[in-house]
Amino acid sequence: MSEACKTAFGEGPKAQIIAGGTDILPALKYRLKTPGILIDISSVPDLDTITYSEQEGLTVGALVTLRRLAAHKDVREKYPLLTQAALSVGSAQLQAMGTIGGNLCQDACCIYYNLPSVSRQGLDPCFKLGGGRCHAVQGSKICHATYSGDMAPALLALRACVTIADGTGENTIPLNELYSGRGEAPHVLEPGRILKGIQVPPPFHNVGIYVKMRIRKSIDYPLLGVAVNLLPNGKDGALKDILVGLTGVEKSPLLITPPDEIKDTYELEKQTEIMAQAARSKAHPIANTSGYSPRYRREMVSVYVRQGVLQALEIAAGRG
Amino acid sequence: MKTIMLTVNGEAYELAVAPNDMLLDVIRDKLDLTGAKKGCDTGACGACTVIMDGEPILSCMTLAVRCHGREITTIEGLAPRGELHPLQQAAIDHNAVQCGFCTPGWLLSAKALLDGNPHPSQEEVRTAIAGNLCRCTGYKKIEDAISAVAGRNQGVVKGKNRD
Repeated sequence: MSEACKTAFGEGPKAQIIAGGTDILPALKYRLKTPGILIDISSVPDLDTITYSEQEGLTVGALVTLRRLAAHKDVREKYPLLTQAALSVGSAQLQAMGTIGGNLCQDACCIYYNLPSVSRQGLDPCFKLGGGRCHAVQGSKICHATYSGDMAPALLALRACVTIADGTGENTIPLNELYSGRGEAPHVLEPGRILKGIQVPPPFHNVGIYVKMRIRKSIDYPLLGVAVNLLPNGKDGALKDILVGLTGVEKSPLLITPPDEIKDTYELEKQTEIMAQAARSKAHPIANTSGYSPRYRREMVSVYVRQGVLQALEIAAGRG
Repeated sequence: MKTIMLTVNGEAYELAVAPNDMLLDVIRDKLDLTGAKKGCDTGACGACTVIMDGEPILSCMTLAVRCHGREITTIEGLAPRGELHPLQQAAIDHNAVQCGFCTPGWLLSAKALLDGNPHPSQEEVRTAIAGNLCRCTGYKKIEDAISAVAGRNQGVVKGKNRD
């Protein structure tokens, strides 16, 4: 790992990390990225392990494939939200190749950017390509590429942290600090800093669900992804706690924490509505994806949050 | 160029590959195994699916230099002595073949599924082949063919009826 970090640091922006390759290879083939070198981290030891304990929770190495993560016994039993999110990514082949670390670090998407070079010929270079305009939002001074990973909302709702190695040591930060909010460079990892692993706290009695809106069940990125992680069995059937993760509606994945007003109510319906509206107010989808208008997608944020809460409660009821 | 060792359909190969050679191109051009197809070339269509170390992968999205020491099954490996694999026979029996371009890909996705889960549900069959796009007609007959083999697997101990 230290060698990979040092090489990446030495090469600077010319270097690109490759793990599963499912995000970077289309970008290379489309000539969206033309790195001088690729640093293959697949041989870095101990990055493909999954460990779980009741005290420490779940630790997942960055190179664990989505398919392996989804199938792992402890993940299926203790964190079904993660299994659901992993199995919603692309196709079985992409799940078998793509890694959890790569999924978290995947680039933001835009229909004006993710195009073969020949299809981009009629367009001036946008901000993401180093140019000076945004085709999705005319007149905008910033890039609006949309973050569309499926694992981040689930892991945000589970309050996960990520460990970053830099060649001399490592530090652990909450997952939301990994994201910059900038469409052209959605995560904050400078050259030489490599995502090493993910830690998820113990699940307690939480119930989670991931609901995803997309045109086709295979290969499509989410036009909206909502992860709901809640703690049921509060007073009079109300929720004790709830966290919502969103993807596909902003330049970063979003974590929606309960607004203060939720503490004043012990009615499930009101709590759900407060969370649904809080999520909707933070989502700003724009017309840079294929299928469904931004307005519809924004409306669907609250619908999916309500649906997620209901489905999670059904699961909780089933568990007894 | 870099030398890699690959086992393809049970045969070991030593190959000199360029750093930017894709596994699909190596299989097709150097080994002359043209069953795996190049469709979209960007990981969307599944026509290039092969099985690597038991997992279905997209060979158009896999750099060959990263496959050193790996074991690969292509569609040619399903009928090594000309004897059709049960999935291939089922594809014929259920008319699950149109132009044939997607066929090697979905057959290998189905094989990877059945190897790990000999009697999958209809939903599991659909999910397993969701990344293999057919542009001719549809998926009903493909599903029927896979489900027929899965049905025959009922009660068969995992791994006993492979290949």
